[in-house]
Amino acid sequence: MKEILQELDKLSSARPLDIIKKKKDGKKIVEYFGDFVPEQWITAGGAESFLICKGGDPQPPEATLDYMLRFMNPLAATMAGSYLLGLDAVMPIADSVTIQQHDSHYGRMTEILEYKGLPVYKIGVPADYTVGISREYYRNELREYRAYLEKLIGHPIADDDIRACYAKTNRINALLREIDELRKKDNPPITFSDFIRLNHYTLRLGYDTSIDALTKIAAELKTAPGAHKDGAPRILIMGRAVALGDYIVPSIIESAGGAIACEFLDEAIRPFHSDISTEGDVVDAYASAIYDDRVPQCIFQPAWETRFAHLKELIRDYRIDGVLWYQLSFDEIYDMEFTCLSKWLSEIKVPVMKLETSYEYSREAMAPLTTRLESFVESLKEAK
Amino acid sequence: MDRDVNRELLKLAAFEGDELEAFLPRWKFTAEKVRLTDKEIAFAIDTYIPQNWDIKYLGVRKLIGAYLRELADIVSTPQLKEQGVKIVYGILPAIANYYYAAKNAGGDGIFIGFPDLMMVNTLNSFFHSAAPFLYEAEKYGFTYGCRHCPLNKMRVAAYVTGTIAAPDLIWSWGFNCDEGPKTDEMIQGITGKQWKYHISRVPHDSRFDEDEATMETRLKFMSDQMKLGVQAIKEATGYEITDADLAQANKDIGRIGFKVGMLTQLATTADPPVLGGEVLTMMQQVMTVPFNTGFKYVEEAIDILTKEIRQAIKKGEGVMPKGTPRVGFYNVPFCVPWVGKYFRDNGVIISFSHALTLSKKQMSPSKYPNDPWMSAAEAWARNGMCMNLNGEANSIIEKIETCHPDGMILGFFDFDRWLGAQQKIIAKLVQERTGVPSYYIEADFWDDRDYSPESLKTRIESVCQIINARKAQQDAAK
Repeated sequence: MKEILQELDKLSSARPLDIIKKKKDGKKIVEYFGDFVPEQWITAGGAESFLICKGGDPQPPEATLDYMLRFMNPLAATMAGSYLLGLDAVMPIADSVTIQQHDSHYGRMTEILEYKGLPVYKIGVPADYTVGISREYYRNELREYRAYLEKLIGHPIADDDIRACYAKTNRINALLREIDELRKKDNPPITFSDFIRLNHYTLRLGYDTSIDALTKIAAELKTAPGAHKDGAPRILIMGRAVALGDYIVPSIIESAGGAIACEFLDEAIRPFHSDISTEGDVVDAYASAIYDDRVPQCIFQPAWETRFAHLKELIRDYRIDGVLWYQLSFDEIYDMEFTCLSKWLSEIKVPVMKLETSYEYSREAMAPLTTRLESFVESLKEAK
Repeated sequence: MDRDVNRELLKLAAFEGDELEAFLPRWKFTAEKVRLTDKEIAFAIDTYIPQNWDIKYLGVRKLIGAYLRELADIVSTPQLKEQGVKIVYGILPAIANYYYAAKNAGGDGIFIGFPDLMMVNTLNSFFHSAAPFLYEAEKYGFTYGCRHCPLNKMRVAAYVTGTIAAPDLIWSWGFNCDEGPKTDEMIQGITGKQWKYHISRVPHDSRFDEDEATMETRLKFMSDQMKLGVQAIKEATGYEITDADLAQANKDIGRIGFKVGMLTQLATTADPPVLGGEVLTMMQQVMTVPFNTGFKYVEEAIDILTKEIRQAIKKGEGVMPKGTPRVGFYNVPFCVPWVGKYFRDNGVIISFSHALTLSKKQMSPSKYPNDPWMSAAEAWARNGMCMNLNGEANSIIEKIETCHPDGMILGFFDFDRWLGAQQKIIAKLVQERTGVPSYYIEADFWDDRDYSPESLKTRIESVCQIINARKAQQDAAK
């Protein structure tokens, strides 16, 4: 598996260069953010898609401070800051920067990109996802996006091509689910660090490359030994995102002897539990799978009770010993959810630790961070 | 304390005779509920109010009285609820007309109000005393370090301390911010389902090249959201809001709008300046924040103040010397009134608030005269604060061209990831496009615990020096 991951990492790192080359060959480039942007349509239309999902570096958020309030979450700020610092090679050449508008952090950071003159397109995602008019609004946003994409690429996108892409991503989802299922074993054969990387690679690379790699990895992991020490405390990581490049916290936990057996994250992870129907209307199929029927994101409303019910299922199914609440700094809605969730978790006697990150992983910051995480793992070991 | 500070306060707020005697016990009850000590009330009477508010005008004192009355109603909600009165809350920003229409429908059987705003506003503007409630909210999980909105904190604190009743319905508008409506989910999460809410949400999905007021699908969506909100009030209270109720509310707000517009026009063009923007903004607020006591008391204050301002202009009497430079604010921080005093101390007066001053677009006829819902959605979309960054910058520029400030101050919304996030870019855009010096000041509109006078003093002094120098140069060139 190590070799496959290394190869995927190489390909993923080379993806921006590959895109630049394709741009020169006349391909349209769409950089995008968020699950509510139907990436499959971009691919079906013959354009190159590139997901914004980088994090873990404090410099891009800092670069936004001349333009934006400093109390913005560092992941959303990374989106704009990477462009400002020239760290996103794709954005300057993109024919469209399509960003879902589901919360204020991304909304305002998108406006920095507009201010800088980038070809921004916005897809509105109403937070009250259970309301009929909101469901229809999102569907309408999708229909308008399709028309926009078709104009951008210069030809209609066939429904069958979209369905073929749905089928491919469903296959990727199925393989990720297969791997995920193995994490329910006493000693999961894959670490979270590798699992989240794998997710990130599949979000960046072509469908066939991802399917091929995942097929091999799934087969290998079926008989692989555990990737952790026997009896390692089982941890669930929950929050907005563990972004591409933001791997320090999971690796500290794993080094300390913890096993992150499961995650409950809203962004920068493939929604691999949500297959899209390959039958019927393609807009409705997408909206149903990704908006209507999915466990709601934190920003949605009502969400937190449903999310807690889902969390309890995960705690049961993955036999979780403790929850790590991984919160981006100044991410006010997640901060509020934590208030409720910590109360509810204490009622069912599941330990939870809140960790806030501003992506500041300097040497000075690392020592106390490591101590906190090690103490958390130790306390879970003792309680086991 | 030997002084009867409560009586003194009511006198300062222009209560007199039987009215004062009748209100005094209610006020004492209110002061106790909002944890105001005699010492704090004495400080307000002796120092805070005279220092920061133009109480030489009876109209200003009447305005203070109107806010005290409203506060008294808010803390009575637990008793009102026991008596069977239906309690309807809302949050800022929202269209107040619907709440007033609900009041028209329900009369004394329904209470309307934005309790968090009114509590922060009254306690901080006049007593500098909202902090104990905000600390309380922080204990309940609204963490200090994450920069949450003080209004939302107040909502939690006011409820968990028993200061306000659980609503039969709070209609939480999330057309702008995320945190407001999510606060109600949080209150339910930590206290239970007796806190009943309805939310209205709209994503921020217009681009710089789009005009929200002409985006039909979006307007229709907003108008449908409003219909659902009104329906939710009906279901929660049993009161049907008729077209006549809404029409009456629209008419009342239109009348107040006209009067406030006149007053604003008088005050912002008078030289020497006759009034600070804090008072104007708090008067304008009755159009955007529903008062359970209705328009009566604020309208009386407006009428009296308008007469007083006319007289002051006639006599050439101002609150600052002739030729004093003026600054416009994104929204005048009337809950931190010492900011206005610092500007005055440095030879500059705050003249108007972008947030509550109507643009030409807002005053132009609706494209939907026969559809009150679409018309309301259009009105919302025409408000600068409800546009995307570019539209809002243009709206501010239009107001600069009308009000001619010598500088613009943005900021004071550090707690708001929507209304506060973009203001640095707006300051750049406004200055680039108008040449009017525009400054971003990081601070909190509602709560000054993080931004003490000492920390802002230097910043305000520097800004005023530049504005004074620029004005002097311009005057010399004339």
